[in-house]
Amino acid sequence: MFNFAFNSFNDFIYMDGHGIYVWSVFCIVIVSVISMFMFYKNELKKLKKKHFYE
Amino acid sequence: MLKKLYHQFASPKTYIVLVNKMYPYVFYISLCIYTVALIWGLAFAPADYLQGNSFRIMYLHVPASFLSQSLYLAMAIAAAVFLIWKVKLAAYMIKAIAPIGALVTFIALISGSIWGIPTWGTWWQWDARITSTLILFIMYLGLISLHSSFTNFEKADKFISVLVLIGFVNIPIIKKSVDWWSTLHQPASITLTDKPSIDPSMLYPLFFSMIGFSGLIICLVILSSKVQIFNREASKSWVKDNV
Repeated sequence: MFNFAFNSFNDFIYMDGHGIYVWSVFCIVIVSVISMFMFYKNELKKLKKKHFYE
Repeated sequence: MLKKLYHQFASPKTYIVLVNKMYPYVFYISLCIYTVALIWGLAFAPADYLQGNSFRIMYLHVPASFLSQSLYLAMAIAAAVFLIWKVKLAAYMIKAIAPIGALVTFIALISGSIWGIPTWGTWWQWDARITSTLILFIMYLGLISLHSSFTNFEKADKFISVLVLIGFVNIPIIKKSVDWWSTLHQPASITLTDKPSIDPSMLYPLFFSMIGFSGLIICLVILSSKVQIFNREASKSWVKDNV
């Protein structure tokens, strides 16, 4: 169950030609979730500033 | 006693104090679980005998699909609570959940489309599962824009709550679409009643990725709800101490 499923790191990236699909989905998920976290953290920072100066 | 508990936990202030304490634990534990699950699923799970390595998209697609429906269910519960008991916090939660629901539904649609290219030979098909999920995405966007179009927030909360409850009819349709109609999308591999049809070496990382991703999305809902509460309760004195 815990054996590396590929022969090399290059095979892992290429994934028998499916790497382009897997890694593009991976990037979309990571980027969109991180962007959302950054957006809300930024909104909370703005609110903090607003309440600090009021 | 029940009335006291109800008033205590329905208060935005109690909610903020509670989530401020919970947030770091939920965030770091979920991040660790999700990272381990993705490494396990992407690098260590064996390739599928039919789909090859493209099945690894499952570790990103399934948690997002599961949450797209779960978040709508959470919004429907909040809408019912708001309409029956007039709990303000429930109305804030609807507004807070909608953009996160739209995000996970977008992820589910995009990841499904990309997975469809090597598996089905097409990135889009107007079949029941995909179309009903697209309707869910449009519903999330509609709820966000409709709420923003109101100047009277109280009216907006009532209107949106009713719409959320009407829209809930789409959730069982999404869930059962693969059984009721002939679709390209496969039927559910994991159900509450039957034994999973996935091998444990592929199932365990999926299970952990669902837990980890759900935790991270709960963190996003917490942040979004804090923004909503601080904006709507800006005039209250406790907000300054908790923002």
